[in-house]
Amino acid sequence: MTQLILYNVFNGLIIGAFYALMALGLSLILNLSGVINFAHGGFLAVGGYLAFTLEPYIGFWGGLLLSPFLTAAIGLIIERLLIRRLYGRDPLYSLLLTFGLAFMFEDGTRFIWGPATLPFTVPDWLSSPLSGQFFFLTGYRLFMVLLVTATVIALFVILSRTRVGMRIRAGTLDLETVSVLGVNVRILRNINFGLGIYLAGLAGVLAAGMLGLQPTIGSDLIMPSFVAIIIGGLGSLPGTLLGGLLIGVASGVTSVFFPSASEAVIYVMMGLVLLVRPRGLLGEEGRF
Amino acid sequence: MTQPKSFPIGRRTVLKAAAAAGVAQVAAPFVISARAAETVKIGLNDPLTGTYALLGKNEQIGCQLAVEQINKKGGILGRKVELLVEDSTSADTGIAVQKAHKLIDRDKVNFLLGNVNSAMAIALGEVSNQAGILHIVTGGHTDSVTGTDCHWNVFRVCNTTRMETNSVSSTLFKKYGKKFYFITPDYAFGHTLQQGFEAALKANNGTETGASLTPLGSTDFSSYLIKAEASKPDVIIFLTAGQDSVNALKQAVQFGLNKKFGIAGAQQELEVLEGLPPEARIGTWVFEWYWRQPNVPHVKEFVAEIRKVNGGKVPTARHWFGYASTWTCALAANHTKSLNALKMAKFLQNFKLPPEVALMPNNPFYREGDNQLMPTLYVGHAQEKGKDDPEDLFVVDKEVKGVDAALPVAETGCKMKWPA
Repeated sequence: MTQLILYNVFNGLIIGAFYALMALGLSLILNLSGVINFAHGGFLAVGGYLAFTLEPYIGFWGGLLLSPFLTAAIGLIIERLLIRRLYGRDPLYSLLLTFGLAFMFEDGTRFIWGPATLPFTVPDWLSSPLSGQFFFLTGYRLFMVLLVTATVIALFVILSRTRVGMRIRAGTLDLETVSVLGVNVRILRNINFGLGIYLAGLAGVLAAGMLGLQPTIGSDLIMPSFVAIIIGGLGSLPGTLLGGLLIGVASGVTSVFFPSASEAVIYVMMGLVLLVRPRGLLGEEGRF
Repeated sequence: MTQPKSFPIGRRTVLKAAAAAGVAQVAAPFVISARAAETVKIGLNDPLTGTYALLGKNEQIGCQLAVEQINKKGGILGRKVELLVEDSTSADTGIAVQKAHKLIDRDKVNFLLGNVNSAMAIALGEVSNQAGILHIVTGGHTDSVTGTDCHWNVFRVCNTTRMETNSVSSTLFKKYGKKFYFITPDYAFGHTLQQGFEAALKANNGTETGASLTPLGSTDFSSYLIKAEASKPDVIIFLTAGQDSVNALKQAVQFGLNKKFGIAGAQQELEVLEGLPPEARIGTWVFEWYWRQPNVPHVKEFVAEIRKVNGGKVPTARHWFGYASTWTCALAANHTKSLNALKMAKFLQNFKLPPEVALMPNNPFYREGDNQLMPTLYVGHAQEKGKDDPEDLFVVDKEVKGVDAALPVAETGCKMKWPA
C-alpha cells in the first residue's frame, strides 16, 4: 500500500507538471491583461493538431519545436484583432469573447481535422518505460517533466532578468504607472499574450503524445488549470506552479483509495482553499 | 497613447467563469437536417459533441443513408421521410431529455432514435414511453434498457452489455487466465459490463484482483494503471468506450503493461482502433458489426454506399446501428400500414430483419418479451495494420449468435407492460 501511494505521489507530480504548464500560460495572461482566457484549451488543441500535421514532414521534434510558435503566432493575431479591443473594459467582455472563441476552436478543429481521434505518435525510444519497476515513468513522461522544468525555469528567468519580463511583472502590479513611465503597454500585452499561448501550444503537443488527439482535448484539459490557479493564488506564478503540482498529487493519491472521486477531489480542494484561505496558497492578500 | 484602465479580476469572476465553462459543455447547438409538411419524421437524439461525438455522428450517417434509400423506395406509407437530429451532448442526461421533448412535443416526430450514452438511452425510453411513440435505441448498451427498464415501445439494435461479456468471456479465460482487473467507466454502461464479467468469473471460479471506476471523460489513466499493475492480474479488462478507450489503451501500452498482462475487454469499436497509434491496436474484444464479411450478402454494397458519404472511410458498427434502426421504423410502418406505435411494436415481436438490412449472418431478430435485437457478435482481436486495407484493423476469430450470448428473457428483469 505504501508503495502504491508513493508511486501515485510520484505519478501525480508528473501529471501536475503538465497541469502547471497549462495553468502558467493562463495565469500570465490573466495577471497582466485581466483576460480570463477560455480559449486556452482551444489553443492547446491547435498546438497538438499542428504538430500532428507537421509530423510527416519535420518529424516529432520539428513539430514540438515549430508548432508552439505557430500557435503563438495565431494567438498574436487574435490578440491584435479581437482581444486588444476589450482591454480596459469589464473583464466580462473578454470572458465572453474567449468563451465564444473556445467553441470556434473546437468546431474549427473538428471541421479541419474531422471528429475522429487522430493517432499522434512519439518516437519509439521515448514511448517505453525506463525500468520495469517504475513502469509509469516512460521516456516520454520523463522528457515531459524535464521540458516543463526547463520551460518554467526559462519563464522565471525571462520574467526576473530581462527588461520585457520585468515590465510584465511591473505591469501585473500596476499597469497605469508602467504606462505612464513610457512603456508601450500594447506591445507588452501582445508579447505577454503570445508567451502564454506559446505555453498552451507546447502543452498541446505534449498532450497529443499521451492522449488521443481529438477536438475536445482542450476543453477536457482546461478545467484543472483553472483550479490550479485558484488553489495556488491569483496573481502568483509560483502559486500556479504549486497549485498544478498539488492537484496532480491529490488526484493520484485519491485514486488509490477512491478512484471515482479522483476527479472531484481537486474541486473539493478548491472549495477548501476558498473557505480557509480565499486568496489562494501563495496569492497576495488584498490583491484580488 | 491611451491610458489603460485596470479592472481587477476577482476570485469570484474566475469562479463564475469556471462555472460558465461547465455550462458550455451542455449548451450545444442543435441541428435540423430538413423540414417539410406532410412528411414522416424520424427524430435522432444522439451526441454530436463531447466524448461520444464521433459515435453519434456515425450513427447519424447510417440513419441518413437509410432515409435516402427509404425515400427512393417510396418512403413510409407513401410519404417522404425526413430525419431531424438533435445533439444530446455526451454526458448531460438532462439536456438529452430536454432535446427528446423538443423532438416529440414541438417537432412531432413519429419515431425516436438514440442514444449512444446508456444513461441517456434509459431516460429517453421513459420519455418515449410516456409519449407513446416507437423508439429504437441505437447504441446504448447497458442491460436495463431491455431489462428492468424495458418498455413495450422501446426496441434496441445494439447488444446488451451482458451479451458482450458472455460472448467473449470463455475466450478470455482460455487465452489469458481467470484473474481480471477492471478499468470501468463510472456509469451505467461500465457498471453492467463489469457485473457481466463478474458473473462469468463467479461461474468459472475466477477472481477479480480489483477494479477502478473512472469518471467518464477521463484523460489521465496512469493512476488506475498503477493500481492495476500492483494487483498482478492475468488480464486487464478495459470497459471504457470512445475517447476514454483511446486514452486508456495508449497509456497502458506506453507503460508496457501489454508485455506483462493480457489486454482485453468487451465492446471495441473501429473508431477507437483508428484513433490509436499502431502499437496500441492490441487485445481481444467484441465487435458488434464488421465491415469485412465477404460471405454475407449486401455488405459490400453497404460499405460502398457509406464510403461515398463518409469521406471514403468504411462503415463501423455505429453506421450500421443507425441504418438498421431507421430501416426498422420504415419496415414496421409499411408492414402494418400504420404509424400507430402499438401496432408497430406488436408487429416487431420476433421480427427478422431482411438480409439487406441485417448485413450479418444468423438472421437477427427482435426478441419477443424484451424487444432486444438478437444479432451476431464478432469475437476477435485487434491488429496493427490491415493487409490490403488500412481500415482492416480487426480479425474476427469467432461469431457468436445473439441468442446464445443473451440471458433468457425471464432473467433479464424485463416485465413488459403493454397498454390495454
